[in-house]
Amino acid sequence: VRLRRRSAFQPFAARGRVSVVAIIVMFALFSALSVALSIRETSRSRHRATVVEIASRQRTLAQSYVREAMLVHTGAAADPALTAQLLRVSADKLIDGGLAPEVNGDDDETALPRATGLARLQLQQSRRLVHDLTAAGSAWLAGRPLDRVQFTGKERIAVTDPERRLDVLAALTSNVSLNAARTIAASADHGIVQLIVTQVVLGVAGLLAALLLAAGLTAASRRQTAHFRSLVTASTDLVLIVGEGGCQYASESVERMLGRTGAELLGSGYAESVHPDDRPPVADACRRGEPDEIVFRLRNAQGEWRHVEAHLTDMRGERHVGGIVLNARDISERVVLEEELTRQAFQDGLTGLANRALFRDRLDQALVRAERSRAPISLLLVDLDGFKQINDSYGHDVGDQLLVQVAERFREVARAGDTVARFGGDEFAVLLEGGGETPAIALADRLLERLSTPITVADRTLAFGASIGIVTQAGDGEASREELIRRADIAMYTAKGAGRGRYEVFHSDMDRPVGESLGLEDEIRLGIERNEFSLQYQPEIEIATGAIVGAEALMRWNSPTLGKVPPGEFIPVAESAGLIIELGRFAMREACLQTASWESQGVLPERFVTWVNLSGRQLSGGGIDELVHSALAESGIPPRRLGLEITETSIVQGGVVGDRACGELQRLHSAGVGIAIDDFGTGFSSLEQLRRFPVDMIKIDRSFVQGGELDPRDAAITANVVSLAHALGLIAMAEGIESPAQLASLRELGCNLAQGFLFARAMPPDDLAERLRDRLWERVPEAA
Amino acid sequence: VKPATPPGVVRTLVIALVLAVPAVAWSSLDGTAASSTQVAQVRERDFHVMAPRFLAAGRVDLEISNAGPDTHELIVVRADGRRLPLRPDDLTVDEDRIKPRTVGNEDDVRPGTERTLKLVLKPGRYVLFCNMSGHYLGGMHRLLVVR
Repeated sequence: VRLRRRSAFQPFAARGRVSVVAIIVMFALFSALSVALSIRETSRSRHRATVVEIASRQRTLAQSYVREAMLVHTGAAADPALTAQLLRVSADKLIDGGLAPEVNGDDDETALPRATGLARLQLQQSRRLVHDLTAAGSAWLAGRPLDRVQFTGKERIAVTDPERRLDVLAALTSNVSLNAARTIAASADHGIVQLIVTQVVLGVAGLLAALLLAAGLTAASRRQTAHFRSLVTASTDLVLIVGEGGCQYASESVERMLGRTGAELLGSGYAESVHPDDRPPVADACRRGEPDEIVFRLRNAQGEWRHVEAHLTDMRGERHVGGIVLNARDISERVVLEEELTRQAFQDGLTGLANRALFRDRLDQALVRAERSRAPISLLLVDLDGFKQINDSYGHDVGDQLLVQVAERFREVARAGDTVARFGGDEFAVLLEGGGETPAIALADRLLERLSTPITVADRTLAFGASIGIVTQAGDGEASREELIRRADIAMYTAKGAGRGRYEVFHSDMDRPVGESLGLEDEIRLGIERNEFSLQYQPEIEIATGAIVGAEALMRWNSPTLGKVPPGEFIPVAESAGLIIELGRFAMREACLQTASWESQGVLPERFVTWVNLSGRQLSGGGIDELVHSALAESGIPPRRLGLEITETSIVQGGVVGDRACGELQRLHSAGVGIAIDDFGTGFSSLEQLRRFPVDMIKIDRSFVQGGELDPRDAAITANVVSLAHALGLIAMAEGIESPAQLASLRELGCNLAQGFLFARAMPPDDLAERLRDRLWERVPEAA
Repeated sequence: VKPATPPGVVRTLVIALVLAVPAVAWSSLDGTAASSTQVAQVRERDFHVMAPRFLAAGRVDLEISNAGPDTHELIVVRADGRRLPLRPDDLTVDEDRIKPRTVGNEDDVRPGTERTLKLVLKPGRYVLFCNMSGHYLGGMHRLLVVR
């Protein structure tokens, strides 16, 4: 048994068993050995006693022989020959073993062992002397001279008297026989001594072995105790034993984990250190011994709450423990990390509002609750108007700061229980639980009002609006989450389409397949690949002469899956997805090629200009210069045949991007390409910017033209814009002329050009060629 | 002759003590004179005593060995020119009667063992004999002449 194995820790139970078994086996072996030796020694002792008895008998027989010989010599009756025979046989048997003869019926036949060692030598001498004695006796009785008898025992007897001679021989025989008996007896003593010594040695060895094993067991037990103690004390885990009367034990690691002493946790101190909210479940677990694992908070020395995860082991049945063992680990960092990850997963990183995922989750929960409580829920989807232009013009940093402030306004306006989320980009959503249409509309009103106040970002005052789609689901509604969001989306786009800066409540009429922005981006992408886009041209009329002096190229999309999609739906999507660059390139090339075609057909008037729209993105992205020149080169038309329409917001951008765009436009303008400001009046352009940009024409937004009939303010704006254009030496053109009255008032204002349904809708190029050929438009319709 | 034999262990201890004490005393007292001590080999067997015939007077160490097989003893006695007197059994020498001229004896020399008998011998004639029953008459005696 190896008592000092240090290579690896072994559980005490295994080692202890081995040691105990070893002790028992050792004692059993030693006892068996001892008993066997005792039995053997007892048996030998019995044999020796027999031999001693027979050897001693030889003395008596020798003396009897001498006496009987003398009796016979005197004529008395005796049988010395028989005695001589007994002496000789006994002497033989004493040496070689066997049955010793009986004498006079006194002794039974006795079994003798074979003699060994010194006893054998002495018995052999005894036999020689027996021979000499009996030979001498026989000679004497036979009357032969004794000095003729050959002595075998090497004795040289000095006496001559035959009787004395026999006496001396008998004495010698007796003496050696007795000494043989002594030798045998002494060997018996020796055997007993050997037995005692052996048993003492065995006993001492057994005792030593047992002591060693016991020491080994003690050492193993001590090592085990030390091992477990070091495990418990060195562990960063906190070990608590909770039983009746509270905490009975707290490991030293409590100082590392909580900065508190173990004594502080003992008794009721432990329960008081648990967070009040966690006390009931912890107390319950400590009472029942389950569940196996609980997470709760413990207060440290600084008064902070540490999250701990504890494994419970019910050891109340263990006499030495008598409680529930809690193995607690500090998981605060993990909890913080989890919370952070959760926050990142469910919070919008920029604004701190809920993100789309969290909003959907909340919406799911709200739907479940609504189904139970039969309370309505409302959803507001908010899209900022003009944000894209701000982003394009001032850069994303400004856009981001704007979004942060917008989010703050959302928070101010929303109620505490509402969920406000940013869906991405400039799209926000608000979830109202337990409120029908009325509170939703009230919230939309508050939002619109709050958002109408311009926001100052980076020393720029930015004005913008918002379009809000509202959907309300009554308590018994069955629309799914996605359906609700889709409906809100439709309502929001409806609000946008209806003029922005407003809200729309969803109703079933709005629910039409086209307008689903979901997948529209992919459809556009496919559409570009499949050449589903085309250009139509809306003529521009000189009011004074009625002549067609130009045409605006307008993008049309006839999708095989969606049908004819209005530009108002796909252009914003294409812009946000960056597809507008591709579409713009197509428009530029196509318009130039078409113009060249008209030119080759000889239908173009002298001053005719084809106007192509440029998006803000195209401008800020750069490369317009190259795009235009490439299109002109390919088509072969002169630059004066081409005009670029840019929106007001796209020229507002300052900085390097704005400067570059401005430079490119100036170069194109110098080359002869016309520049027009589109939708004038809806953006933020200043006179400064009008002066800076090489502009030929201002297009007055249709909302002013159409509103002019009803609202004197719109009419005033239109008049002023016309005056402004003329003051700056620019051509003024009115968009969206739908009635002769509008035309009349514009003519009166001195507006140069006009465009609108009154004259013509956008038309395929061949139709326009036809019109040009017919010169139908040289006669202007009379004002009503 | 010793009348009784003690048990093995006790006897061994007794012998060891008996031998050890005088041996220590002898060696410490007689360190310088040791060189003048004669050593004589006396060999006993059944039934002879073999010893030098002559020795010088003075200290003598008789180194007695018994070749056996019987147990023997050695008694050293000054000779007076006659046979040694016997006891009434006519088998053993009467040790009481020779006591005044007995110079040393060694009892119970077991076969295969050796003993040393230290004597101071004056010039004269000595008899070395074994007095086990019948041994003297059986031939175990020897004359020693010390000059």
